[in-house]
Amino acid sequence: MTYHNLLFTLAVLFALWAVMAKKLLTSAIMLALLSVTVSLIFFNLGAPWAGVFELSVCAGLITVLFIGAVSLIRAVEEKHPESRAPFNALPLAAAIFAIAGWFYLPAFFDELASWRRLAESSGTIGAALWDLRRPDILGQVLMLAAGVFVIKSVFPRRTEK
Amino acid sequence: MDKGLLAYLLIPLLSAVIIPFAARNRPRLADILANVTLLAGLVNLGWLALRPSVVRGDFADIPGDGLALLLVGAIYLVALCVTFFSAWFMEEGQPNRAAYYSLILASVSAMTGVVTTTDFFTLYVFIEVLAVTSFALITTDESRGGIEGALKYFFLTFPASALIIVGISILLITLGNLQFETLRFFMSTDVPPGPVVFASALIMLGFLIKAGVVPFHAWTPDAYQGAYAPVSAHLAGIVTKISGVYAIVKLGTLLRFFDGRASALSEMVMFLGLLSIAVGALAALRQKDFKRMLAFSSISQVGYIVLAAGLGTPLAVIGAVFHLFNHATFKTVLFLNSASVEKSSGTTDMGKLGGLEHSMPWTSWTSVIALLSTAGVPPLSGFWSKLLIILALWEAGLRGYAGLALLFSIVTLAYFMVMQRKVFFGKKSQAAESAPEVSAPLLAPAVLMSAVIVALGLLFPYFYTYVKMVAERIIL
Repeated sequence: MTYHNLLFTLAVLFALWAVMAKKLLTSAIMLALLSVTVSLIFFNLGAPWAGVFELSVCAGLITVLFIGAVSLIRAVEEKHPESRAPFNALPLAAAIFAIAGWFYLPAFFDELASWRRLAESSGTIGAALWDLRRPDILGQVLMLAAGVFVIKSVFPRRTEK
Repeated sequence: MDKGLLAYLLIPLLSAVIIPFAARNRPRLADILANVTLLAGLVNLGWLALRPSVVRGDFADIPGDGLALLLVGAIYLVALCVTFFSAWFMEEGQPNRAAYYSLILASVSAMTGVVTTTDFFTLYVFIEVLAVTSFALITTDESRGGIEGALKYFFLTFPASALIIVGISILLITLGNLQFETLRFFMSTDVPPGPVVFASALIMLGFLIKAGVVPFHAWTPDAYQGAYAPVSAHLAGIVTKISGVYAIVKLGTLLRFFDGRASALSEMVMFLGLLSIAVGALAALRQKDFKRMLAFSSISQVGYIVLAAGLGTPLAVIGAVFHLFNHATFKTVLFLNSASVEKSSGTTDMGKLGGLEHSMPWTSWTSVIALLSTAGVPPLSGFWSKLLIILALWEAGLRGYAGLALLFSIVTLAYFMVMQRKVFFGKKSQAAESAPEVSAPLLAPAVLMSAVIVALGLLFPYFYTYVKMVAERIIL
């Protein structure tokens, strides 16, 4: 139960951070962490396939694409800095939502947890990844390596210019 | 995953990771490491494929369905030609030399992953890696054309990936798992195939876009023309073959197109194949730029493979696999030579070129061999693969398709004749006057590939027994 609540809280935190980050790169990384948390929630709710695909596609592939795209963008000094007031209001809105959730959501979480108990026999994350999708891990390693090479290939050209 | 070929995936990946560290102070080490890795892999593959028992026609030792081995061979051969060429082509002091070779090796790993996997989702993961590496490679020299090509590539191939992933999820819901064998087994039962064929059609559509088949060909000419010169050889020679065409052939055999259970999809694929042949050939006739004409010719030749894959009979699959391999060899020669022409004369505009035969004889004559093979002139390798495809169409009773395929083969010959006259033969133009022959290392890959083209044509009976074994193993 605590583990569940922790995951949900983390998911919300990462989501907020992704929206509020000043740097695009931070935003992309927070989005990846959000995906990791969501995939852990999937695993915990007994949906290893959904978890594996969330981890592979959203946390792996999409992040590399985002980071690749961000590395292509040149920093431009903006004349009028963007207004961040709406973003600052976001934590406030989240806090109000959290207080409302404190009263209404526990029943919903209890129900989710009971689903998890039903699916407890489906094995751990490691087992699901290793037994079901071993070649994908290789693909992910390759993807990460490719992402690093993309950045290495694009950044020197930018700094040179 | 085919474990027998796993080393061909892991070793380039390892080299790719080592290169940036090893070549930090000595940039030339990156060239050496990349070339040695690929050469070692190729020698190893040569040993696997040319053992006395295999040459005698006993294929018991060939791992998997044999197609993976053949394609891994093609991948290593083309990549070795490209890296060897790049080592002399690339300007000294380019800041991202190590990253360039790392990206090429990562794309070799990804392509090996694509051809050895037996699972749709793993296939997807490797194809995405391939898309990311290609995207970065296209922009290597940061020219305007390169960035435009890369963006077009991006905007067309990522929606294709979205289609593929949606198809894969429907397949997972309907079949229960994503193994290739499950789909093949399902198609041989009597269960109504509706949702499975729908999912497969989405996946097929994604791969048709990635292969640059008409009407999804908009990215191909820009990407090939704008890309850094050796990279366009890598892309046209092997990357689009593996990331699109291979998957189409594979999916066609898994759906058992020949027994008519997915006849609507099979007909659609065949129609798009023929459309590509026609549009590619007719558009190539009108091009004024050497590389752009080659790009349209590529679209047309991919059409032949797609047409044969859509038909799906054993003979057609033999033709498709053979043409896939051949196309990799002759497009590599042509694109590498176009890079040599560009380096030497400073242009690829066919209006300004002419009479290169006198000043660049090696480049000209290797190009002529590749052109004739593409057009299907006997006894070169391209003749046999086109013959097999046309025979398969005729045998299946599709005489109209067979006739049109033959007709456009003649159109291919026509546009290549025009190109030969404009670029290599005829009167020496001003650009040709000041264009010396490129150095021997730049010629070596083109000469090697031309030798492969001639050898495959002349030793066709030996090669045919191998390709026939492949077709038997992947269809049965």
